[in-house]
Amino acid sequence: MKVYECCDIESVTKKIYCRECGQEITNEREVPDKGNVYSYTVIHVPPAEYAHLAPYTVALIELHNSNVKLTVRIAGEVEIGDEVELDEFVDGAYVYKKTS
Amino acid sequence: MTVYIQSVGMTKFGKAENSTLKDLMLQAAHEALQKAPGMKIDAVYVGNFMGGSLANQEILGAIVANDLGLGYIPTAKLEGACASGGIALRQGVLGILSGEYENVLVVGAEKMKHASTADVTQVINSAMDRDTSEKHAGLTFPGFFGVLANRYFYETGASKEHLAMIALKNRENALNNPLAQFQKPTTLEEILQARHITSPLGLFDCSPTTDGAAAVVLTSKPTDIKVLASSQASGPTMMQDAIDLLSIPAIRISGEQAYAKAGVGPEDIDVVEIHDCFSMTEMLAIEELGFYPKREGWRAIAEGKTKVTGEKPVNTSGGLLSRGHPIGATGIAQIVQLVHQLRGTAPNQMAKQPRLALAQNLGGTGAYSVVHILERV
Repeated sequence: MKVYECCDIESVTKKIYCRECGQEITNEREVPDKGNVYSYTVIHVPPAEYAHLAPYTVALIELHNSNVKLTVRIAGEVEIGDEVELDEFVDGAYVYKKTS
Repeated sequence: MTVYIQSVGMTKFGKAENSTLKDLMLQAAHEALQKAPGMKIDAVYVGNFMGGSLANQEILGAIVANDLGLGYIPTAKLEGACASGGIALRQGVLGILSGEYENVLVVGAEKMKHASTADVTQVINSAMDRDTSEKHAGLTFPGFFGVLANRYFYETGASKEHLAMIALKNRENALNNPLAQFQKPTTLEEILQARHITSPLGLFDCSPTTDGAAAVVLTSKPTDIKVLASSQASGPTMMQDAIDLLSIPAIRISGEQAYAKAGVGPEDIDVVEIHDCFSMTEMLAIEELGFYPKREGWRAIAEGKTKVTGEKPVNTSGGLLSRGHPIGATGIAQIVQLVHQLRGTAPNQMAKQPRLALAQNLGGTGAYSVVHILERV
């Protein structure tokens, strides 16, 4: 997964200027798709467009070898700290699964 | 130049089946204007979030001016998600501070109860950055605060029970507020056993959908209530951009700026209205505003320090959780409660009449925060 960095702030989304130094952000690097669950929620009351998925789990993942976090959907139950990996990219969403 | 509050007005919050968005705005504004006799209004600012998408009604500023007969004065609607009301108020304050206006009417309003929960959730999601994989993952607005809550529990000694104590406190406060949406008593057990919305948050941890409006008349003419500070900050628009998930920088920075402008600190504030869109949000806000140390707010909750009888009363109106959350009106309704507290006429009036009051109004998942500090003079 590609991440963007400046002044030790890493993000999966590219910003134009760095909020610390004000320079244009040019550093890019690849980090593994794998990570650990940093936190999560189970959504029982979805917006209309995701009603067919409910209840579903959305988690914030901390990717390995970085301080980057990524918001993903996960099949099944998870706990904080669980090891997870990318399963598929569907309709613009990263869908993860627990590493078996 | 100093800005003062002349008067306030507010509708009953809840389900206003037979009132339109316009009816609600006019009712709150009319009440505020009746308490400002002979005052020529120079401008109108309206705080509103979903008038266009849910009520199919915009041009709210011009409607208020026209139907109240205020003349050909400048008006505008301000949108900042759930901070729309606070932002509208701040524009009114700035308009007077600039010297352009002497008297400004600020109205906040929302009409939501006629729509389904799925549709309201969908529209509220427009307060997140939709152009991201985070949105496509299906994160919702309440979901964001559910993720925060699980991490907060993981890093501290807090549990769902501490969130329930916040919800219970605010419900108990609402019982004495005739304008509040929820006036049915509840118990810790009922709150803990309620159905899940975005676990660990249950029904009582989430603010409701509400119809309602509130209004304030600001003036450069001295009154008994001075606007001591007005500040606003922006923050990350995505959960995955948070440096510290348990921090909402916009709240912290807007608070720090307000304290600096007012020349006071968090210890000086006598009474507080905080943006408890979720019980978890109140927990983080009492920390970010400096009332309690980071990751220690739950202890203050457990010790009852934020109750009306505590050292730092928070949400004596019932808060968003139980007074109700008509989105654009919320930031103004906070001011209504604080003005009443300072004047000694509030529901849940503090035993010792307060002198300094703070309102904090949040928009999005930390995208906006507005803080106002009021002083009884």
